[in-house]
Amino acid sequence: MTDMNHTLTIQLSGSEGAVIRTLGLIERRGFHLGKCSVGEVDSGGRTMEVQVSSSRPGDLLKRQLERLHDVFQVEVKPVTVTKPRKPGIRPVTLKEY
Amino acid sequence: MTVSTQIAPKLRSGSQILIEALERNGVKQIFGYPGGTIMPVYDALVGSGLKHYLCRHEQGAALAADAFGRVTRRAGVCIATSGPGATNLVTGIANAFMDSVPMVVITGQVPSPLQGTDAFQEVDIFGITLPIVKHSYIVRSVNDIPHIVNEAFQLAENGRPGPVLIDLPKDISAGMGDVVYTPPQAWPATCAPDATAMQTAAGMLSKARRPLVIAGGGIAISDSVEVFRRFIDRTGLPVTSTLKGLGVIRPDNPSYVGMLGMHGNGAANHAVQNCDLLMVVGARFDDRATGHLAQFAPAARIIHLDIDAAEISKLRKADVAIVSELAPALEGIQPERKANPGWRAQCAGWTKEFAWRYDAPVKGIYAPKLLRDLSAARPGGLTITCDVGQHQMWVAQHCQFNDPLQHITSGGLGTMGYGLPAAIGAKVAKPEATVVCVSGDGSIMMNIQELATLKRYGIDVKILLLDNSALGLVRQWQEIFFEGNYSEVHLTDNPDFAAVARAFGIQARSIKEPEEVGEALGWLLNTDTAAMLHVSIDSMENVWPLVPPGKPNHKMMRQNS
Repeated sequence: MTDMNHTLTIQLSGSEGAVIRTLGLIERRGFHLGKCSVGEVDSGGRTMEVQVSSSRPGDLLKRQLERLHDVFQVEVKPVTVTKPRKPGIRPVTLKEY
Repeated sequence: MTVSTQIAPKLRSGSQILIEALERNGVKQIFGYPGGTIMPVYDALVGSGLKHYLCRHEQGAALAADAFGRVTRRAGVCIATSGPGATNLVTGIANAFMDSVPMVVITGQVPSPLQGTDAFQEVDIFGITLPIVKHSYIVRSVNDIPHIVNEAFQLAENGRPGPVLIDLPKDISAGMGDVVYTPPQAWPATCAPDATAMQTAAGMLSKARRPLVIAGGGIAISDSVEVFRRFIDRTGLPVTSTLKGLGVIRPDNPSYVGMLGMHGNGAANHAVQNCDLLMVVGARFDDRATGHLAQFAPAARIIHLDIDAAEISKLRKADVAIVSELAPALEGIQPERKANPGWRAQCAGWTKEFAWRYDAPVKGIYAPKLLRDLSAARPGGLTITCDVGQHQMWVAQHCQFNDPLQHITSGGLGTMGYGLPAAIGAKVAKPEATVVCVSGDGSIMMNIQELATLKRYGIDVKILLLDNSALGLVRQWQEIFFEGNYSEVHLTDNPDFAAVARAFGIQARSIKEPEEVGEALGWLLNTDTAAMLHVSIDSMENVWPLVPPGKPNHKMMRQNS
């Protein structure tokens, strides 16, 4: 399986822990974190732009992020350029343990 | 109200505000353990309307709150101090997270100015629990407490339930505030099920030649058991069940083929591997249920009903997905005709072929038969909590449940030590229930201190301890998959468990002969206080059938295979 790159644009709450909760979920669900920027918005919330890569589907990550109470909105855009990445959490494979 | 009658808001401590908020959210019982930073809350607890159950380890408190949450479908509440008190809760929080159990966890924290200074008993429990909570808070102002508590309960109980943590620094619990409690706004209703998807699903069910339904734990969580049973009666669809779905369908229902998965019934595993359409209701394709994922239900198209959009196509692509409360979706799916009679007959044939048998030659007491006898002694009338291991699988296979809330088991996390505190939580939640904790000699030792909680509060829990002097399931795997190279599984130096129970003030008996079983089970169930029946069984007994790891579900190993 080849990795796909995605750019996520996430609107999230300004609450304590919201950023680390969001980034933690992305890695835990098997997505390699690339470039990441976080900014505050006038409403008191934050906006985050993250580049991720994984063999797992980007729309699944979107739905997993949308489960978080701190996350208001997620946009996912596929990035066409692919490049090899360091090994991280592997995709769900067929071998069971 | 006129100006002259207005009274200046009264100042109260954060702890008093917290207790009021808990009471306003309907809490009557909490499970916990006091300590330094949570002391202001324990101070306010005295004289409140909350009954506190002092468990003897914070893990016991968390697991009791978990079972309370399962049985009541309202958030169970546990409370502990900072540092080790908080970290001891972690297994219980993870347990609730994995099984979608509503829970509100309150932890003391060092005073805000000391946070981040490595203060005594400081630990970042908010950070530690981020992956295993539905949401969490650190309270930064006394006046935020009512809002946070209300939201915590709403989040824990609505949608897909889960644990919510509130970390409460001591300067907040001891500080003063003037906030007046106001009830929360109603939680927004979940989207109605998509009409087109329901129609498509109905069409697929009408056309399928070999349709099958998987009943998952979500059906009980969402209180949709009756709706689901009517759906099955109406459609005649054969049904299998996950571990957490046991009891959703009555075991004597002719459409029922049993539990699927690694230790599932042969009928269920053959049905699932041969179906051409699989309707999955409130279940999540757990690896213990699917076996080799790529070969799971290989010919089936999938209809997936779940309230959690993130479960759709996570492991198996759904051809039709309905993300909503289960009940309206089940009511809205109206196939034009009943399930294919030939396929129903095929499933019924498998059910007959793979019916459990109790006549294999065994040494001493045969645990599956004993559990079947236990279940038959009070048909449909027992609430059984389990620990984790061979006995847990035997309970799932051989006890009969008419209601999923009668089977309290640690499914996703597989927490040894769950059974006894879970029995406490279940009995506190449902005092009229006969609660039996079925445990093993490995598991019981993980929370044996909770025998003191039984005694302290006179909680009438019956403990059935199946003792094979081994970590049985690990021993079984070492026998089968590690060429009998037994490593750290023998427990032949177990304590005298009946004597241990008696030391805690719990009545206890030990048996080891098959002819003693009937009378001893009668004694256990008819004793009017907590009691333990300690049963010695053959250490080499295995759980059958077994789907080996990496194999599809129909490649089951059987006894003597």
